[in-house]
Amino acid sequence: MSATSVIPAALERPYKYLWLEWDQEFAVLTARICVKPIQCYSLAAMAELQQVFNDISANPGLVKHFVMASGAPGVFNFGGDLSLFVLLVRARDLDSLKLYARRCVDLVWWLENAAQVGVHTTALVQGDALGGGLESALLHHNVIFERNTQAGYPEVLFNLFPGMGAWHLTIRKGGFGIANDMILSGQIYTADQLQRAGLVDLVVDVGQGESALRKIVRSAHPRLRGTLTALQARRIAAPITYESLQSVVELWAVSALRLKDRDLRLMERLARAQVRKVGGAAEGAVEEIKRIELDTAWGFERTGLSEWSTLT
Amino acid sequence: MRPLPTAPLRTAVTQPFFIDLITRTDEARRGFETNPRVLQIVADGLSVERYRRLLLELYHVVWHFNPTCAAAASRLSDKHAEIRYFLYDHMMEEKGHEGWVANDLEVVGVSHSEVALYRPSNSILALNGYNYWSADRRHPCSVLGMLYALEVIASVYGGPIAAAIKESLLLEDDRGISFITSHITMDAEHMAELRLILNTIRDDESKVAITESATFNFEQFTRVLEAI
Repeated sequence: MSATSVIPAALERPYKYLWLEWDQEFAVLTARICVKPIQCYSLAAMAELQQVFNDISANPGLVKHFVMASGAPGVFNFGGDLSLFVLLVRARDLDSLKLYARRCVDLVWWLENAAQVGVHTTALVQGDALGGGLESALLHHNVIFERNTQAGYPEVLFNLFPGMGAWHLTIRKGGFGIANDMILSGQIYTADQLQRAGLVDLVVDVGQGESALRKIVRSAHPRLRGTLTALQARRIAAPITYESLQSVVELWAVSALRLKDRDLRLMERLARAQVRKVGGAAEGAVEEIKRIELDTAWGFERTGLSEWSTLT
Repeated sequence: MRPLPTAPLRTAVTQPFFIDLITRTDEARRGFETNPRVLQIVADGLSVERYRRLLLELYHVVWHFNPTCAAAASRLSDKHAEIRYFLYDHMMEEKGHEGWVANDLEVVGVSHSEVALYRPSNSILALNGYNYWSADRRHPCSVLGMLYALEVIASVYGGPIAAAIKESLLLEDDRGISFITSHITMDAEHMAELRLILNTIRDDESKVAITESATFNFEQFTRVLEAI
């Protein structure tokens, strides 16, 4: 792959939450998402990503490889916009929760069908990926994790579940047992554990993600037509339907609306932890999830931790 | 096989206005929740002096809330009669709440006569001044933007802020924080009602004015908290 080239006019737009890079030699489009202060799938960021996908679909043959990466150091993506969920749940706004979920499914569906539009996809995960962040990574044909990355589905800790394809994708890549363990425990896993579970294709040392990506693109490019056809066949062998994704997100939206104050406070706690990390604190949402697991297992009194003591 | 989603970006036209308002004001809301001073309050609470200052400032927001709503209600045309009725009901519910702020101030050592003598900061004067002007001259529906911002702040962020203040000042039960805590639940109810009324808005002129007002209120309220 060559150095970053000028973005083709058909793909260039004034994005606010995406940073696009273009490699002319292999027709690689890299989208780095950067949502401040919390790296998550905000409505605005999702709208921009959908626009990128629409532009790729509208220009067949222009983009041959799509790479999803992060523009935020140490974080790939923390998934859903938790403060938005709190707002919508408190407003009892089922319609908007469903709308948010449907937009996620539209993105999921495009990535799921990327081979069909002639695009080979890779997730370059160079930082923590939680909930929807992990779901979005697993959607890609290749999933590269740098070794210090941690990931999982913590939603069950606040009485929710990952609804935007987690069951489908985790079962497909890791099997039923792995999906059960991951989704029902809320546990966070290391990159190596996820590779052993079959969810991550390649784990590389910190800082080696970009060169691993180049190797994958160089190796796939000469046999791209065959690879894409094989990947389409893989979808036929292990299909995920739009209807089943929709059914799950409907259930997700209804269950989100049933969240109680305690659940919402935990969501707020995670969101604040991440904001603190962005502000320079050593620990963020992943460490906070581990504390919540401890709190839940032992009770606040026994650990000496409380919601507020963990903030200081 | 289902065709790939290649439809153009969804816009405000195809979605209810409430979610559109959330999206359009997302940055201002995030600006509030991630402001370093706001985060510091959530993490460490406030000293009693700063909490007194916060309540004294809030008193003037609450005191001018109903007159602002009344100004807007009086200028709404009959095509927005439903919004006028919504404001009447809302004003009834908010009536007298400045007294709750004054009572909390008394718990932390500020007498009612001192409350009456307090001159609000320029940030509060600007916030109230904008809300009156916007209801009066800009567009009466803009008042819904003020309601939205204040209710988001109360119902989404009020809980963590109240808990931090209570811990830092060792307050018992809701004594001294009754205004903030009561509005967490109350404004969650209000938010549900506000969503319904916002989703009735169809005209772009009203939508733009509401969005502008919500954005301004988030940003200006951030300045208020920064200054205490």
